[in-house]
Amino acid sequence: MMNHDQPSAKDQCGKIWSGIQLLKDTTENKHFLPTGLEGIDTLLGGGLRQGQLTEVTGPSSSGKTQVCLHSASLVAAKNMGVVMYLDTSNSFSASRVATIIDGSSDLFELGLDLQPKDMRLKSVMRSIICESVFDIFALFEVLHQLEVSLLNDKVNNGGSKMCLLIIDSISSLLAPIIGGKYPQGRSMMISVAMILKKLADEHNLSVLVTNHMVSAGNGAVKPALGESWRAVPHVRLVLSRECGSNICTATVLKHTLKASGRTAKFVVPS
Amino acid sequence: MAAEAGGDPRAWLAVDETASAFISRSLSSRPPITLPPPLHRAPLRPGNVVEIAGPSNSGKSHLLLMAAVQCILPKEWEGIYFGGLGKSVMYLDLDCRFDVLRLAQILRNRIAEGQGSTHLRNGDLEKDDTEDEFQSSFENALFSDCMQRFFYVRCYNSSEFTAALKTVQSRSRSEVLGVGIYFVMIDSIGAFYWIDRASHPTRDHKGKSLQSVTETVVHEIRMFLQLQPALVLVTKAPIYAEGSTTTNDFNRDSSKYLLEDSTVSRCSRQEEGRTLSYRDYMPSIWQSFVTHRINLQVEEAEVPSVQENEVLSTYTSEWVQPSLKTKEKFFIVDVRSCYSYFV
Repeated sequence: MMNHDQPSAKDQCGKIWSGIQLLKDTTENKHFLPTGLEGIDTLLGGGLRQGQLTEVTGPSSSGKTQVCLHSASLVAAKNMGVVMYLDTSNSFSASRVATIIDGSSDLFELGLDLQPKDMRLKSVMRSIICESVFDIFALFEVLHQLEVSLLNDKVNNGGSKMCLLIIDSISSLLAPIIGGKYPQGRSMMISVAMILKKLADEHNLSVLVTNHMVSAGNGAVKPALGESWRAVPHVRLVLSRECGSNICTATVLKHTLKASGRTAKFVVPS
Repeated sequence: MAAEAGGDPRAWLAVDETASAFISRSLSSRPPITLPPPLHRAPLRPGNVVEIAGPSNSGKSHLLLMAAVQCILPKEWEGIYFGGLGKSVMYLDLDCRFDVLRLAQILRNRIAEGQGSTHLRNGDLEKDDTEDEFQSSFENALFSDCMQRFFYVRCYNSSEFTAALKTVQSRSRSEVLGVGIYFVMIDSIGAFYWIDRASHPTRDHKGKSLQSVTETVVHEIRMFLQLQPALVLVTKAPIYAEGSTTTNDFNRDSSKYLLEDSTVSRCSRQEEGRTLSYRDYMPSIWQSFVTHRINLQVEEAEVPSVQENEVLSTYTSEWVQPSLKTKEKFFIVDVRSCYSYFV
């Protein structure tokens, strides 16, 4: 969105990578961050991949926010790095995070069961930065500040770098602006997409965003944000949940490595 | 011309070369290229610009990767025939969705297939440990050799894209990239469409509108092709205008897609009685630059696959320019395309 005002200077071209360099960078820096929900992790091939933008879409209360909270909790509890949680509808719940940590069966491996509960919770909460964002301009502002601080290496909580950025939900920020007859709305959407992918690749973040569903005519539903958004995420999952059950089904709409159409079930403990 | 005015006019009428010499020179300097199916139906040579169009998730990037692997594999390696071109690929990633692991998967698969056929031919059914080691070191050496020939640049906006094209030109001139670039891949050309459309040329900006960006891009690619004949493969996703109703997949009821205007050319397809008409959104200077077009679709037909929990989608491809009035179906099973049949 911010075009460089350099009338005669040439813009810098990005680095030219060779296949070997790319492979080395991916193996060394772009790891999978598990979400803690086994079905989802299997579908994703290990978890949320650093350097990629993963979208989780589905009708309301199909488990999208739960996936976000689980990933944030697990990454923070395992000390993989700092998590930034951008919340657009006050869905972040510290008590839910506490329940997830307590209920997690990995605790024995983590060695955290020896710590008193509140100490454990404090150290996890220190690794999660939660910010409320209610419109697209606030999002641009937050992302810009994040870019600056990552470049200056300031987002350091006891030495760990940020590794996960969650935006729940990005569609509530973008859907209001992309309707209408002027191209500015979609231009802003694509600009946000480019900023997120650049952050993901240059700073080894995994970006997780949620999207909602809209009607597609004939009673069918489809993910919101339209066709232009379809080309943006690396991985897209659709969730669904039967009424009253806590078993959710996830289907792969798109994946960079695996065929789409695969499904898996996972349980969201209540 | 003035200097030659004193020369022999008959010399002007002398033959430069015969047609057969011309054809053999042309075929040797720009040999025909065979790409993996379904891109193999139209004859392609370096200097051609192929546009692979299709909605999201219709297999466009997969086709690019298959073609890239075809290019970077050598024709022959230590006695085993692979049938590749052994030249470099330059991949310009505008979507920023490239996954190097997928390229690695496809490449390793092709290497294993090439080796597997040798084993069958030799009737070699028993393997011992030393042979395994030899095989994997052979594979790794070939793999590294091929990956050295793959070059990749990410572009986050149009300025970076044009800068990348200029850099590729200048580096090619100074031969830094070693073996000449034979394939240029751009994924995908409409990535910055909305951003460019929304930016207004102001006094300071010097006109970074969509039209001027496209003109610069076409100019730079032309300059590069003059320097070094290469095959250009470009993917393109359709863009839908504001306020139009669209459906994700092409389903039963006939729907019209109102696409962004700006040009004249229109391709329409008849499919089982429905008419879908596309209008291209790229400026006409790009459309006249493209020499070949192929359209891809994906159908949600439920084809049961070998593994459970998996539904294979059927992909179809159709050459629009040159217009071959047939459509072909193919499947993508994890890493390979199982190329199927004509419709």
